[in-house]
Amino acid sequence: MANQMNTLVEELKVKLIDILNLSDLTPADIDENAQLVGGEHGIDSIDVLEMVVMIEKDYGVKINNKEVGEKVFSTLTALARHIQDHSPGAAA
Amino acid sequence: MSRKQIYINNAGIVSALGSGCTQTAAALLENRRGLAPLTLFSLLSGKPLPVAQVDSIPLDSRLPRTHQLAMEAALQAVDPAEVSIDAMVIGTTTGGIATTENLLRSGETNPDLYRYHGLGTVAEQLAAHFCCSGPVLTVSTACSSGAVAISIAMELLRSGQATRVLAGGADSLCRLTYFGFNSLQLVDPDGARPMDTGRKGMSVGEGAAMVLLSTQKQNSTMAEVAGYGLSCDAYHPATPHPEGKGARQAMAAAMTDANIHCTQIDYINLHGTGTPDNDRAESKAIKALFSTPPPVSSIKGATGHTLAAAGAIEAVVAGLAVSREILPANQGCSIPDPELIPPQKIPERHPLKVVLSNSFGFGGNNGSLLITTPRDLQQTNTALSRPQLQVLGAACLTGAGDLNTTMAALQLQQPVAGLPENSEFSANLPARKIRRLKRLARMGLALATAARENSGTKETPHDIFMGTGWGALSETHDFLKRLEETDEQFPSPTDFIGSVHNAPAGQIALFSGSTGANITCSGGNYSFEQALLSAELLAGDAPCCVLGADEYHASFTPLFDPSFSPHTPPADGGGALYMEQATAATRQYPCLQTSFYAQAIENSTVTALVEKLGGTAAIHQRFGLVLAGIPAADQPLATAQLRYFSKRVDLNIQVVDYRKYVGQFASASAVAAVLATAILLNRKIPAAFAGENNTQLKRPGILILGLGRTITAMECYLP
Repeated sequence: MANQMNTLVEELKVKLIDILNLSDLTPADIDENAQLVGGEHGIDSIDVLEMVVMIEKDYGVKINNKEVGEKVFSTLTALARHIQDHSPGAAA
Repeated sequence: MSRKQIYINNAGIVSALGSGCTQTAAALLENRRGLAPLTLFSLLSGKPLPVAQVDSIPLDSRLPRTHQLAMEAALQAVDPAEVSIDAMVIGTTTGGIATTENLLRSGETNPDLYRYHGLGTVAEQLAAHFCCSGPVLTVSTACSSGAVAISIAMELLRSGQATRVLAGGADSLCRLTYFGFNSLQLVDPDGARPMDTGRKGMSVGEGAAMVLLSTQKQNSTMAEVAGYGLSCDAYHPATPHPEGKGARQAMAAAMTDANIHCTQIDYINLHGTGTPDNDRAESKAIKALFSTPPPVSSIKGATGHTLAAAGAIEAVVAGLAVSREILPANQGCSIPDPELIPPQKIPERHPLKVVLSNSFGFGGNNGSLLITTPRDLQQTNTALSRPQLQVLGAACLTGAGDLNTTMAALQLQQPVAGLPENSEFSANLPARKIRRLKRLARMGLALATAARENSGTKETPHDIFMGTGWGALSETHDFLKRLEETDEQFPSPTDFIGSVHNAPAGQIALFSGSTGANITCSGGNYSFEQALLSAELLAGDAPCCVLGADEYHASFTPLFDPSFSPHTPPADGGGALYMEQATAATRQYPCLQTSFYAQAIENSTVTALVEKLGGTAAIHQRFGLVLAGIPAADQPLATAQLRYFSKRVDLNIQVVDYRKYVGQFASASAVAAVLATAILLNRKIPAAFAGENNTQLKRPGILILGLGRTITAMECYLP
């Protein structure tokens, strides 16, 4: 489980750099436990919307509520956990 | 200060509430809701969302839907017995995109089918129908377009350049806006509920409204447009300033312009989209200005958000409010949000004299209008004259690079047409801040930044005026492509925000903190001229930036731009000028002004141009070089016009078809304007333009002609 989680976190880092055009960053530059939105990488509300689309598209997890969104996007770890818990393929 | 008063002498309106002032007034009094699930186009997946669709437009399948809506409203506003319309200012964000979407899906590659794609074609078809020969401007400032169009029309009237102007806005439903706003989570699945505690967003709508504005009051006069206010939040590309700072600024400017105090306002027609952020910010802005706000309501729960039409539709509704004594209700709100100003629950009938109408849009673009019963003021017939604008700094982008490399290449008689390198022109822009921007927005930012830097000043331009013939093609293309590829499920919200025509100008404001007017004009090959004309009409005492830019897109340019040829290398770029009002103390700077702007009607338009420039002798005396813009698509017409002009004035100075050097793209004239300022300052004509003549510029000015379907003249001269 922990391994799966690590894989997912690393996968998300690569996807984020790609879809948010963070071309000056490498996956190693992103701290999965640091503040994700409004943190040092300048990720903002438009990026959140872009991530929402990617998460639904790639993982089948919908995030369409602002309150839920704020919690889910607090850190990359929180995001990965949310995906893991809510993805259609998640172990029941 | 006394000045010309401006009257709405007639109005046309079409929305989901019906067609015409009478139907609209009845619907407002019945408090009808015009929202229903979308049926205009079928969806590949998902349940149709509520929209405000117009069901009754007479179908003319040759024209895109926006054009049809605009025509229907215009036909209501213009009495066929009316002598003539001097000018038009039309706001639109969609143009022919609804038709383009269908053509793209069916794989059509015949460019002729896409001829109504451009935003400017909406106004052009109206101009042709109503034989309007004067300036025909297209404004695209997202959801404030309609209000901004009316504001520009007011200045055309005040300045004496026109006495009768048709102004308004039109937008149709299309996939781009339907899915775009939804991707931003700005659509309420239950239909818009402005000001409601549980509001979740807007309902996208469609419609059009036109007002016939005049300085002459008539028996038919519906209302007066007493003032306008424009501003830019310079805060976020798609979200309003949380305290409604720009909204407050626009409302306050409208009151100052009209010389009306907030205690005189009887009703505020809210922008009130129904998104949590907009309604909150707007209420805060009103509370900051009004100690006791008058009744307020948003009609967007009834009409939907008709985007570029909204400002015009609501100006007409404000006109109905004062002329027919209707206080419209805030349809869709059942539990008013206690944080906001409580809106008007039911329609009422009582006399209203002064209505404030708000329209805000993407790019933090704000416009407020004050509509009143015709006031009894001491009116003057004196036209408001404005100081000329001088160029303190200029920059351009061509296939050769920046202004210096472009001039150097022209000196070596090399063509400079081509595609400037993205990595080169973006090199000095902060990488992190431009990461989401594609080609056009980056070009705009690079140009505006360089123009200010070249001026040697650090002062932020207050107002931004941008012309672009085709807007952000990359974002529009990428949005539609991904929409289709993902069965309409996962379009990119970033691309939607970037796809609006005024996104680049909004980015410039965001970067430089420009909180004044933020205008984007899109009239094909004359977009830059329209931006310059708007600057001349609207710019205040502070410096402004006037620019024109267009991007080449491998899929879209060959389909949309009739001047594109597969036999010549693709070209794009643009030019920017950092300008301010000329003063006696700063005579060393070149001035740039539009001297002529008219729809081409045979040779008489060229004759009018010659007269406007002061006749043959004056032209010989004033100009040492003519830069002629000949769009490839209009070549036979434009060449004939140029031949007639040369013959008429017995021209013996160098005339350069500058598009041969800088390339065939819509805002090539922005490059020409920048080159003209550089030539004036050097007093030397680059070899490519000098021909066999002497390279010394022997006269104080350069004439930049725009030829083709429209004839324009810009003068660049040292005072």
